Amino acid sequence: MNINATLLGQMIAFGLFVWFCWKFVWPPLLAAMEERAAKIEQGLKDSEDSAKKIVEAEAESKKMITKAKSEAKKVLDNAKSQAEKIVDDAKNKANEEKDRIVGSAQSEIEKEVVNAKKSLEKDFATNVMAAAKKIISKEISSSNHEETINKSLEDFRK
Amino acid sequence: MASEKTESTFQDYLQHHLQNLVYGKLPAGYERENKDGTVEVLTNDTWTFAYNKSEVAEMGFWAFHVDTLFFSLLLGGIFLFFFTRAAKNFSLYKPTKLQTFIEMLVDFVNGVVKGTFKTGKNTLIAPMALTIFVWVLLMNLMDLVPVDLIPYPAELLGIPYLKVVPTTDLNLTAALALSVFCLYLFFSIREKGFIGFIKSITLHPFGPWMLPANLFVEVIDMLAKPLSLALRLYGNLYAGEMIFLLIAGMVAWQLSVTGIVFGVFGTMLSLIWAIFHILIVVLQAFIFMMLTVVYMNMAHEKFEQH
Repeated sequence: MNINATLLGQMIAFGLFVWFCWKFVWPPLLAAMEERAAKIEQGLKDSEDSAKKIVEAEAESKKMITKAKSEAKKVLDNAKSQAEKIVDDAKNKANEEKDRIVGSAQSEIEKEVVNAKKSLEKDFATNVMAAAKKIISKEISSSNHEETINKSLEDFRK
Repeated sequence: MASEKTESTFQDYLQHHLQNLVYGKLPAGYERENKDGTVEVLTNDTWTFAYNKSEVAEMGFWAFHVDTLFFSLLLGGIFLFFFTRAAKNFSLYKPTKLQTFIEMLVDFVNGVVKGTFKTGKNTLIAPMALTIFVWVLLMNLMDLVPVDLIPYPAELLGIPYLKVVPTTDLNLTAALALSVFCLYLFFSIREKGFIGFIKSITLHPFGPWMLPANLFVEVIDMLAKPLSLALRLYGNLYAGEMIFLLIAGMVAWQLSVTGIVFGVFGTMLSLIWAIFHILIVVLQAFIFMMLTVVYMNMAHEKFEQH
């Protein structure tokens, strides 16, 4: 009960304890607790933000998918029409080619016919001439009758 | 019981338990009475433990309550050890249970200080409040240790007296209160300026024309702060300890019917009082902290002309 020097000792002890707590206990503890509180707050905010972003991204992706689909359809349609066109073109070309080939073949044939006629004519004339020579050599000289023969050949040509 | 070995009475038992272990100086020529009744005259001034009341009285002011100092420093050391360790090993995401508890305490004190200490900024207040709360709480909790559990073995080891509850020693509570009071004066003068401080104790509450009355009232008011602070804690804990001692002293375990009845009854009483005392222990620690913060807040208040 009596007051003595213990009082002074306790005052010093109290001062030291408070000083120690002030310097080494309170600031780090409080700083750490506040840091965690800030981190939790940030985390909550972040998760809210990302939830919003997810919704946005979903909408965006839907939009993109629709767009892609319509584009694909367009491309497909294009390709179809292009293909039809190509087929048509090919058909036309083939027809043209056919006509051309047929045409050229015909003219070739005609030419051949003319040539054949010519050579035939020539052969014929030669043969006739030879035959006539053979015949005439026995009877008359060729020079006398050449005019008559040529005339008859002219008629043949017609 | 600690007092059973001689024909000591109930009163002796009480007085024995209410005496601190005192270490002090006995002057040369002091006649020391040994336990066996022989008298030894000291030839020199001797620093020693007091073995009875008259020796305590002879030692005067320059003596120390070794038990109070030992247990308070031990408990304060425990407080700082665990809190420093928690601060050093602080884990943001995986707190241990101890860390969670310490955080709870820090958060609690921080809340009290934020709610009460609103004038100005002072980084000392919150750590001081924490120190007071936890330290006083730990010291008060020693009251729940059965009254003879530590003193009796200590007596067998030759330690004449031992009080394990530091807050039942007025020296400790007064030391805390005086320290707080010194800080109160220091911050008052620092915040208000010396002139402002003088004004605050002379121009209140009646105005300048009643200066002596003002000074009288304010000084009483000021002195009442540490006094009430010290005596409230001391009184509550001392009374609590006293009741434990009364119950314990009443109960003398004997192998007789009345002895057993008294023993059981006393144990029940002790238990009930201990449970009730938990409330006082925590409440007094809280009140001491709270009032300290309130006084600090008052010290930081600017002087206002009413």
